[in-house]
Amino acid sequence: MKLRILERLTVLFSWAAGFILLAAVFLLLGYLLVKGYSSISLSLIFGEASPLRALLLEERVFDGLFPAIAGTLVLVILSIVWAIPIGMATGIYLAEYAGPRVKKMLDVFFDVLSGIPSIVVGLFGFSFAVFLHKNFSDKIGPCLLISSIALSFLVLPYIIRTTQASLEGIPRDIRLTAIALGATQLQNIFLVLIPKSLSGIMSGIILAIGRCAEDTAVIMLTGAVATVGLPKSFFSQYEALPFYIYYISSQYSTPDELMQGYGAAIILLLLCAILFSIAYGIRRGLTHFAFYRA
Amino acid sequence: MSYSMSDTIKIQVANLQFSYQGRTVLRDVTVSFAENSITALTGPSGIGKSTFLMSLNRLWENIPDAHMKGTVEIKLQGQFRDVYARSMAVTELRKMVAMVFQVPNPLPMSIGKNVAFPLKLAGENNRDVIACKVERSLKMANLWDEVKDRLNDDARTLSGGQQQRLCIARALVLEPEVLLLDEPTSSLDQASTAAIEELLTGLKDHLTILVVSHYLEQVVRISDRVVRFADDTIIP
Amino acid sequence: MKKLGELFAERVFLLSALASSSVTIAILVFMVFMGFPMMREGGFYQLLLKPWEPYQGSFGIYPMILGTGAISLLSLVFAFPLSLGCSFLITTIAPKPVRRGFLRVIELMTGIPTVIYGFVGIFLLVPIIRELFQRGSGMCVLTASLVLGIMITPTMTLFFCDSFDRIPRTYLDAADALGASHTQKLLYVILPSARKGMLSGVILALGRAVGDTLVSLMLAGNSVRVPESVLEPARTLTAHIALVIAADYESPEFRSIFACGVVLYLFTMAVTFLVRYVGFAEDRNY
Repeated sequence: MKLRILERLTVLFSWAAGFILLAAVFLLLGYLLVKGYSSISLSLIFGEASPLRALLLEERVFDGLFPAIAGTLVLVILSIVWAIPIGMATGIYLAEYAGPRVKKMLDVFFDVLSGIPSIVVGLFGFSFAVFLHKNFSDKIGPCLLISSIALSFLVLPYIIRTTQASLEGIPRDIRLTAIALGATQLQNIFLVLIPKSLSGIMSGIILAIGRCAEDTAVIMLTGAVATVGLPKSFFSQYEALPFYIYYISSQYSTPDELMQGYGAAIILLLLCAILFSIAYGIRRGLTHFAFYRA
Repeated sequence: MSYSMSDTIKIQVANLQFSYQGRTVLRDVTVSFAENSITALTGPSGIGKSTFLMSLNRLWENIPDAHMKGTVEIKLQGQFRDVYARSMAVTELRKMVAMVFQVPNPLPMSIGKNVAFPLKLAGENNRDVIACKVERSLKMANLWDEVKDRLNDDARTLSGGQQQRLCIARALVLEPEVLLLDEPTSSLDQASTAAIEELLTGLKDHLTILVVSHYLEQVVRISDRVVRFADDTIIP
Repeated sequence: MKKLGELFAERVFLLSALASSSVTIAILVFMVFMGFPMMREGGFYQLLLKPWEPYQGSFGIYPMILGTGAISLLSLVFAFPLSLGCSFLITTIAPKPVRRGFLRVIELMTGIPTVIYGFVGIFLLVPIIRELFQRGSGMCVLTASLVLGIMITPTMTLFFCDSFDRIPRTYLDAADALGASHTQKLLYVILPSARKGMLSGVILALGRAVGDTLVSLMLAGNSVRVPESVLEPARTLTAHIALVIAADYESPEFRSIFACGVVLYLFTMAVTFLVRYVGFAEDRNY
């Protein structure tokens, strides 16, 4: 009888847990949407400036999210540009060239790297900027370049892991097909293995993009500021969407600014939701494509 | 083909049809099985004998994309019951219609706990009752003498043949009325096979036994009747 | 005989791997280097045990260590039962159509940015806590732990589900054939076998909770006194770094954030090695 009670309680407990979690999510999203719904409009992004002229960089946007969105965009692109080549090359090395002992050792390094808190990575980026400032040039300080490099360190483990896992997941027969026909290891990698693992690698990249877009801790230490307009150069400070949201939450002075914060939160949420769905879709779609294509 | 004396029928299958992922595996199978007998099910590999067994304890319901038509009636606790009726709880069915698999599958627990597991599922927690039933089952499976001093050892330390007898003991502990065995000796050596065949022969006084088997000699050795599967149905 | 191009490519790959792995070390090195003067003067251990009182020249990070400990452990207290229950639902208890839908929701939740949790927390939860308990501003350990708990639940749930999926099929078949109900199968077969995997999941979640910055920064109040109850504000190591970064970088206050960084880094290493150890222990059993 005691066991029966335990089993019944387990069921009850599980449904309660599920309910609580769902309630929390819906509360969170609902609150955001209800409060911020009215702020969604072109003027949220472009302020008083005309959208077309702002996009063509002819007019400066003062009151809108455009600089922050643009800053986030540029930041993400730069970070990915640094992270993809090194990440993929490392993943290829781990999957195709490394011996078991080397692999184990490097595994530890990347496990640690993936666990390092983002603020610590940001701190590293900051110290690096200070170091450059003191030893190389007065003009270098926390900026877009430093932020993007630091962010790339943050997402490096994602790309390395997914590249490595996708390559290692290729079945033996496919692995050996080209080799048996006389291809070199390099040719095999680029002509057969990488194309076959593209879906896995892509979803890893998209996940990395999402991570870069949403991160606040790294950028707040390495160059993101509240109001500086569009980034002028790699060495300038910049605005970013997640930082703006954080800044507004503690520094808003008018209800309008708060509404902008809600709007920004909704836009960021939408952005991450889209990226995540794309990553998921790619993983499902390309697998289907790879299996059923002639 | 049914027997003239209907009160010795234990299992009655009518017009059974089974399809999996669009492919028909069994078509229009009608057959009865007598009480307290050992029936061997034979036929080429992959023809659906295992599937047929699973239709008797509804284990195929865990497989996605599988469909079944037809009726299965089993005489349980004195009454013929439709195995697929709403009133038949599948967990209760499986306690009365037990199954042993081709590859022994002891659970990751001690020998004693493995055999006692069905008792736990049924809500039995009186230690003496449990100990008594475990001993009884292990004796029926001809395994008691070999394990009585090490009931607390992990079940996976037993040899293949012993593990299979353990699974049989475990299947018997709730005193089922039907025992289904899917090629129970195909992963075992000669000696273990003989041990299990002997034990099955001894059990038929208590149970109705269905054995799927590939080996003609085995079939001849132990069974009272042979049902052959060919194409997707039964040869009467 | 490998062609020159092949050798070159291999070297390039190797170099990338070395570069990536050296980043890990570089981060630690930089932090020790920058914080070194402070540590040399006061001694590292002193730093860890002293309270933060700038006017008395004491720059210990002890209150922050406590703050991090309190918030992350409390968030685990909230997250563990939630994750357990949700993983039960997804694996066995809920009916099949519900399972997939719920799984998708949980997967999507892992994509919600932390800053948004913080943002909604400030405007939704803080006033509620303030009203409910009538103490302080509503920004305290409790608030931060609640939100952090919800935030790490999806990841922990997915991890648990993964551990459950790794149970060998034979055990599940055996349980089914013996007439076990879904709940019985879960409690008596799946759970006992998945214990080690679940432990890894909890350790990793703890790592994430300790490493979080935004939620604690925005919701825990950031006071430098040691919190005496969950309703008092606290500061975590991570939030401390974010707050003090604006200070003059020759000052001792500034150096203290590197001490925080080192502590966090060492904690990360501990988590990594612990998870590996538990993982190996698990492999030995199968």
